[in-house]
Amino acid sequence: MSHDLERQLRAALRAVDAPPDFSQRVLARIERTQARRLRALPTWLPVALAASAIFGALLTHAWHVRQERAGLEARQQVIDALRVTGEKLDLAYRVVNAELQPAADSSNDSAPDDQGA
Amino acid sequence: MKSLLAALAVLLLIGQRALAADARLVLPEFRGLEDKASETVTITLDAKLIKLAAGFLDASKPEDAAAKDVISGLTGIYVRSFTFDTDFGYPLGEVDSVRKQLATPSWQRVVEVRSRKQKSAVDVYLSLDRNLANGLAIIASEPREFTIVNIVGSVDLEKLHRLEGRFGIPKLELEAKAPEDKAARR
Repeated sequence: MSHDLERQLRAALRAVDAPPDFSQRVLARIERTQARRLRALPTWLPVALAASAIFGALLTHAWHVRQERAGLEARQQVIDALRVTGEKLDLAYRVVNAELQPAADSSNDSAPDDQGA
Repeated sequence: MKSLLAALAVLLLIGQRALAADARLVLPEFRGLEDKASETVTITLDAKLIKLAAGFLDASKPEDAAAKDVISGLTGIYVRSFTFDTDFGYPLGEVDSVRKQLATPSWQRVVEVRSRKQKSAVDVYLSLDRNLANGLAIIASEPREFTIVNIVGSVDLEKLHRLEGRFGIPKLELEAKAPEDKAARR
């Protein structure tokens, strides 16, 4: 009984040489699997990635342009505000001068008379 | 109830202090004036825009550098200026409403000029917080023009003085003329 079992096991587990095209078949199967995986990726993905990159670049450029425009406008407003402030201070200065000038002139005119008297 | 009243009183006190510390004026909207005016200047610059503007002022140019220096401590610049083709085409009441806001202890009138001949009036006010100027206001009215300038922030008069001769700002010789300015006539 035990001899029979042993004989059957030996026959079942005996070393068998691989067929000559075994390695080619394995390599071909690997290639087929990889190709199937690549085909599984959606074709629109690279297009979407490229479109996202372009959109991002355009958005950044637009933000920079807008920021520069706002900055230049703000700069101009600062200069205008300083100009208007200067003009109003100038107006005050002119009015004070105009009010003081006749008084100064009349005192200058009257000075020789005072001395003469 | 008592604690609620106490909390309310504290809040009111904080509010009053906050109002006193802020030198920003509530400028009227001057609705409809833009249509009547032949020239309008409306400038509203908050801290964010002032900072942005500072970034576009070229420090290598003397004028820009001086302006940059002046605005460095500011948190607001507000200008309303209207020019008309006819005399007194603007609502005097609205100008007076701004003058009333300046009738508080935190504001001090440093220059008051009235000219009967030119029918013009210029008032320059400084807002002081612990003896430091934290705001400037100019109200100038002429027959065909009125202007309100409100500058908020640490106003350094010395820096403003250094701007003389730039952007049309005249050489005021403030030190020499100070006693006469105080005696400016009505």
